[in-house]
Amino acid sequence: MRPTGLWFETHAAEARVLETRRARLSALALLAVLAAMPLIAGPWLLGELTNLFITLIAVLGLCVTVGMAGQINIAQSAFVGVGAFATARLSGMGVPFWAVLPVAALITGAVSVLFALPAVRVRGFYLALTTLAAQVMFPIIVMALPMAWLGGLVGLPVTPPALFGIGLSTPGRLYWLCLAVTVLAVWCGFNLPRSRLGRAMRAVHDNDTAAEVMGIPVARVKIAAFFTGALFAGVAGALMAYFLQFVTAQNFTLFASVWYLGMLIVGGMHSPLGAILGVCFVTALQEGLHKAANLMLQSDSALGGGAFFALSSILLALCVLAALILEPRGLAHLWHQVMTAFRLWPFPRN
Amino acid sequence: MTERAEAVLEARELRLGFGAVEALRGVSLRVAPGAIHALIGPNGAGKSSLLNCLSGFYRPRSGRVLFGGRDISALGPAARARAGIGRTFQGIHTYPGLTARENILTGFHARMRAGILAGLFRWPAAVREEEAFTARAEEIIAFLELEEHRHALVGEMPYGLRKRVDLGRALALEPRILIMDEPMAGMSPEEKGDLARYILDIRDRFGIPVVLVEHDMDVVMDISDRITVLEFGAVIADDIPAAIRTDPRVIAAYLGGATEGATP
Repeated sequence: MRPTGLWFETHAAEARVLETRRARLSALALLAVLAAMPLIAGPWLLGELTNLFITLIAVLGLCVTVGMAGQINIAQSAFVGVGAFATARLSGMGVPFWAVLPVAALITGAVSVLFALPAVRVRGFYLALTTLAAQVMFPIIVMALPMAWLGGLVGLPVTPPALFGIGLSTPGRLYWLCLAVTVLAVWCGFNLPRSRLGRAMRAVHDNDTAAEVMGIPVARVKIAAFFTGALFAGVAGALMAYFLQFVTAQNFTLFASVWYLGMLIVGGMHSPLGAILGVCFVTALQEGLHKAANLMLQSDSALGGGAFFALSSILLALCVLAALILEPRGLAHLWHQVMTAFRLWPFPRN
Repeated sequence: MTERAEAVLEARELRLGFGAVEALRGVSLRVAPGAIHALIGPNGAGKSSLLNCLSGFYRPRSGRVLFGGRDISALGPAARARAGIGRTFQGIHTYPGLTARENILTGFHARMRAGILAGLFRWPAAVREEEAFTARAEEIIAFLELEEHRHALVGEMPYGLRKRVDLGRALALEPRILIMDEPMAGMSPEEKGDLARYILDIRDRFGIPVVLVEHDMDVVMDISDRITVLEFGAVIADDIPAAIRTDPRVIAAYLGGATEGATP
């Protein structure tokens, strides 16, 4: 629900995501804190945040394909891999990073269209299987191709990014680069659902039979959903390649794809806000538990080291389950409920 | 409106079968410009089959469908929608996850241009287009008196309102004819009255002819300009309401004593 006393004079003003002054100022403050991080945070936190940004971009892409258009995709990690390998090759050829990002995105988009074609005919479980095939084929193809192409079993080194002769590979500068791209990706993620194509995707999600009769070309919209989601994956892959400085097929596993989906589901599939909340929540849990297990490991204990990590994984799974049981529509829904309650206070929400 | 008027939509000798069952046995229909044309008949008479042949969902075994003089028999439902045949559905087929206004805006899909990049980056041309079509959607919202519900999710709306949104979405296609499959089913008398008024307004204000299948005889007799009666997949009568009321075959087949109970 909207806050009271909010009036709009144009349709464009009404379509704003950050409606109130307070919301805009809060976003700006958050951005300022994030931008100041390299000055205050240590290398560990900086690395974690950079990784979180990259994950967020990939999950935003998944939010387009799965959340908005309803086309199940469990190959997002493979698509990130396509972007990463494209980046390794392009950067190796001396292409500057500002050109690498869009080109890697387009290459990933083009590859995704191949796997989107089944979506025109199949749905649900069957579509899940075809995207699963993409995920499984990815490392096999990378390793089967000649060494000179994608590095085979060894992998490919990545030439560090630079802008106007200034290297961007220090943790702080790479962080800023990832932050800037993430802000752009989040902005795009919020723009899409209120655009012509985004509405068509959501319509296809809700009722593709009706959409067809109402003049929406369903097959093209489904392919566009895969393509757009893969654009995000390609950008995420490019940043990941710069972050890791070396890419191998083992970086892009089914495990990661499933986690991307898990983050989206925990956060709430239907809005980019869900992608943001889900990624932050799950990453914080993962890393927090990991760190806790590490600390326990260092302290003397009767339990073996492996037990802590096993326990932390179980705890992580339990937390994700709890989030899903308590709020099946995702953290984004919870967020909206809290905002509504806040705006209605002291009157009860119903 | 005379018998001779050029038909907007015409079906010629449609035959349709499902296995051994013949749903349509050579049905012909002429919808005159600006007319509200009702299809009635007992259950299983072939009304919905006929509608689905007109909107392209079913491909008849034989016969032709002409729209504005052009043979559209070979076109699928999406192509017919783009050609100007709008339709509303039996039951609920709106998009529950979209707001009322977004549902209506989806109807403009084919007329809008913004692509993937315009959607992602929302550059000025895309914003201008969005504004222009939002203004057109608002005209439909004003016409259907949906102002207070424009931002409500359609999935959370009561049935009658959803049907109104469905109608709004069909109007956004800017159709040259509107096909409605049992628009009144499941509505309260108040909602029926509202919808009947909108249908009359659509004819009078936009000059769009309406083909509707409807079971509520009071409504049909009140608002139709012409009525076609189907029974067992064949047309048994095709006339103005007053004549249909007194047609002995129709009374025998379908109406029974219902005409006496009809409101004047």
